[in-house]
Amino acid sequence: MNAPSPTLLAAKDFKSDTKPVWCPGCGDYGVLTLLTRALADLALRPENVAVVSGIGCSSRMPAYMNCYGFHGVHGRALAVATGLKVARPDLTVIATGGDGDGYSIGGNHFIHACRRNVDLTYIVMDNHVYGMTKGQSSPTTEPDWDNALMPGGTGVRPFQPLVIALASGANFVARAFSGDITGTAEIVAQAIKAPGFAFVEIMSPCVTFRPEQREWKELARPSPVPPTDDPARAARRLMTDDGFNIGVLYTGNRKPYQPATGQERKPLNALAQGFAL
Amino acid sequence: MSAVDTAIPTPKKSPLDVVIAPRTENEELISGSEAIAHAVRLANVDVITAYPIRPYDTVMQYVSKMIADGDFDCEFIVAESEHSQFEIVKHASAVGARVFAGSSGVGWFYAFEALAVTAGLRLPMVAMVGNRALDDPGAFGVEHNDALAVRDLGWMLCWVSTAQEALDTALIAYRVAEDPRIFLPCAISCDGAFLTHSQSIVKVPSQAMVDSFLPRYDRGDKRLHPDNPITIAPQVNEDWLMEMRRQSDEAARRASDVLIEAYRDFNAKFGRGGEPFIERYMMDDAEVALVGMGTMAMPVKVAVRKMREQGKKVGFVRVRWFRPFPTRELQDALADVHAVGVIDRDFSFGSAFFSGVLANELRSALYPAKKKNQPKILSFIAGLGGREVSTGNVMKMTKTVFDAANGVGTDAQDTYWIGARE
Ligand SMILES: Cc1ncc(C[n+]2csc(CCOP(=O)(O)OP(=O)(O)O)c2C)c(N)n1
Ligand code: SF4
Repeated sequence: MNAPSPTLLAAKDFKSDTKPVWCPGCGDYGVLTLLTRALADLALRPENVAVVSGIGCSSRMPAYMNCYGFHGVHGRALAVATGLKVARPDLTVIATGGDGDGYSIGGNHFIHACRRNVDLTYIVMDNHVYGMTKGQSSPTTEPDWDNALMPGGTGVRPFQPLVIALASGANFVARAFSGDITGTAEIVAQAIKAPGFAFVEIMSPCVTFRPEQREWKELARPSPVPPTDDPARAARRLMTDDGFNIGVLYTGNRKPYQPATGQERKPLNALAQGFAL
Repeated sequence: MSAVDTAIPTPKKSPLDVVIAPRTENEELISGSEAIAHAVRLANVDVITAYPIRPYDTVMQYVSKMIADGDFDCEFIVAESEHSQFEIVKHASAVGARVFAGSSGVGWFYAFEALAVTAGLRLPMVAMVGNRALDDPGAFGVEHNDALAVRDLGWMLCWVSTAQEALDTALIAYRVAEDPRIFLPCAISCDGAFLTHSQSIVKVPSQAMVDSFLPRYDRGDKRLHPDNPITIAPQVNEDWLMEMRRQSDEAARRASDVLIEAYRDFNAKFGRGGEPFIERYMMDDAEVALVGMGTMAMPVKVAVRKMREQGKKVGFVRVRWFRPFPTRELQDALADVHAVGVIDRDFSFGSAFFSGVLANELRSALYPAKKKNQPKILSFIAGLGGREVSTGNVMKMTKTVFDAANGVGTDAQDTYWIGARE
C-alpha cells in the first residue's frame, strides 16, 4: 500500500480520455466506474497504480484508465501482474479480465497466483460467456445454456471460481455485482488493502450475448452473513450458495509472498570463476 | 510408432479407386470458413476441437450448426485453450480417429508445443489456419507468419485462394496426410476475412463422391489400442532422435508424389482441382512473372489481365503448396522469365536481403536451376495486417520488375515495402 497523497483525487482522475467501445449497457462500464472510485477513495495516485489485463472486452480496462496499464496476451494477466509486483513492490497492482481469460486459457495462472499469494488484486468480470469472440460458452456458462454456437448447451459442469480461489489459498475472496457501484467499490477497496492475493469475482452482464443477465440486478443481494476467516465455514457457505449472495466471503491471514529484494547474494562473477576453463 | 520403424507400407489399391460416383453436387453461396466446415463434414471427421479466435472461429460456428441441425455427427470438444485443443486431436489421431482443429494468429502459436510434437510423432491431422497478424492486441487482419511458423517441422502447408479450393483441398489434405506413406499433419491456410468471411458459389459434392475419393483413416499397426500394445513418444534422447527426424524427412520427400497422385484422382472424379502445386496464370510467353499465395491472387490476376491488354508480357504463378515446396515446378514455370517479383504477405526480419519468406524460399529453389541465366528476384512485402493491395499497387510492382529485367535502376536482390507510410 502506498502512503495517502496530500491532494485527494476524484474517480474521474483515474479515467483516461479514451471512450470505451463496450456495447451500451455492458456491465463493464460499472466496473470502470467503481474501480476508479475505489482508487480515489483509497487516496492512491495514478503513478502508483498499475492495471494489467489479458484479452477480452473486460480486458480493455487498462485503456480506459489513467494509471500505468498493460494490455497483455490472452490468459496471462496474472503472470504479468506477478512479475510486476515482485519487481516493484511499491506499486498497487490490479489484474482485470474476463471469465474466459481468467478461468479458461489462464486457469492455471489463477490457481498458482492464489497459492503464491503475492500482494495483488484480481478482478474478474464474469459474464458466463466469451464476449469479445461473439458469444461462445465459457467455463462459467451454465451447462444447459442453449445458443447458436453451442446448441443444446455444453452439458459440462461450470467452473467454480470462488471455491477454487479458496481451496488454492487466496487471502481474500469476494463476490460482487457491477450494478452495485457503491457496494462493489467498497469491496474492491477492501481487496486492494488486504495483504496477499485478493480475488473479487464481479458479476458483470454481457447484454449483447446474454441479455437475460439484465435480471441479475433483481437477483443479486447482500450476503446476510459477515466474512469469515475460517476456510471450512467459507467452503460450506459456497456449497449452499445460489450464486447471487454478494459481499466479502473470506479474509485469511496467510503471509503474503515476499520478494527477496536487497538480500546478500554471492556475486555472479565469483560463481562464474569456479567454472572457468 | 517405434523409433526403429522404417518400413512404411504402400497402401493396397483400394477397390474404391475404381468406382466413379455420379457427379452430384449442390451449388451453394458460402464463405471460405463454411466451405472448410463442409469438407470436415464430408470427410466424416470423428473428433473436432475448438477454441474461439477470429477469423477461424467462423469454422467452429458452422461445424456446431451442422451438428445441431443433425447433418453431422462427431465428437465436438470446446477446449480451454488452443494448447489443449491441439493436444486432444493429436491423441485422438493416435488411436485412429480422423481429426480436425483450427486456429488463427496467436492462438495457433499458443498451440505450438502440440503442433511441433504432432509432426514429430507422425500423427496425421488436418488443421485450418485462418491467417491473422500476430498481436500486439488489436491486429486481426491477415498476415501469413502464423501458419508459416510450422514450415520446418514436418507439417504440410498450403494456401488456398477461393472457397471452392478450400473445400477441395481439405479433402485432398485428408487423403495425403493419412496415407500410410506419409502420416504427417497438414495445415490449410485461408486468408483471414478475405477468404474466411467472403462468400462465393461453391460446388458442395455429395457424400458418395467424397467416399469414392477418400478412404477411411487406417493406422494399421501404428494404431494405439489395447490389442496392439505399442509406445508412442518413447524417451529416445540422442540414441534414436536423428533416425526419427530422418524418417520425417523421408515422409516429407514422399509427400510430393502422393499429392500428385491425389490431385490426379481428384481431377478425374470431380472434374476440377488443377495442377497440384502451383497455378500458372498467363505464363505462356511471359517475360516477367509475379509470384504470390492465397487471396493475393485476386488483385494480381486482375492487374495482369489489364497489363496484358496493354501488351505487357507479364504472368503470375500462385504457389498453392508451401510444404512440400514446389521446387521443380517453380524452376519449370520460371525457366524463361527474366525477372520475378515475389509478393509476400509476411515478413522475415533480418533474413537474407531482408526479403519475405516466400521470396527467400524461391531464391534458394531457383539458385541451382540454371547457373548462367538466373532471373532476377525482387521481393515485395505487401498487404500486412490485412491492408489492401490494389491493382494499382500490382502494376507499380510489375513496372519495377520490368525495370529489373531490363537492368534499369535496381539491384536484383532488392526488397520493397508496398504501401507502407514512411
Ligand atoms: C491465444 C488466444 N486465443 C484466443 C484468442 C481470442 N479471444 C479473444 S478474447 C477471448 C475471450 C474473451 O472472453 P472473456 O475473457 O470472458 O472476456 P469478455 O470478452 O467476455 O469480457 C478469446 C477467446 C486470443 N486473443 N488469444
Ligand atoms: S459483447 Fe458483451 S461483454 Fe463485450 S462489450 Fe458487449 S456487452 Fe460487454
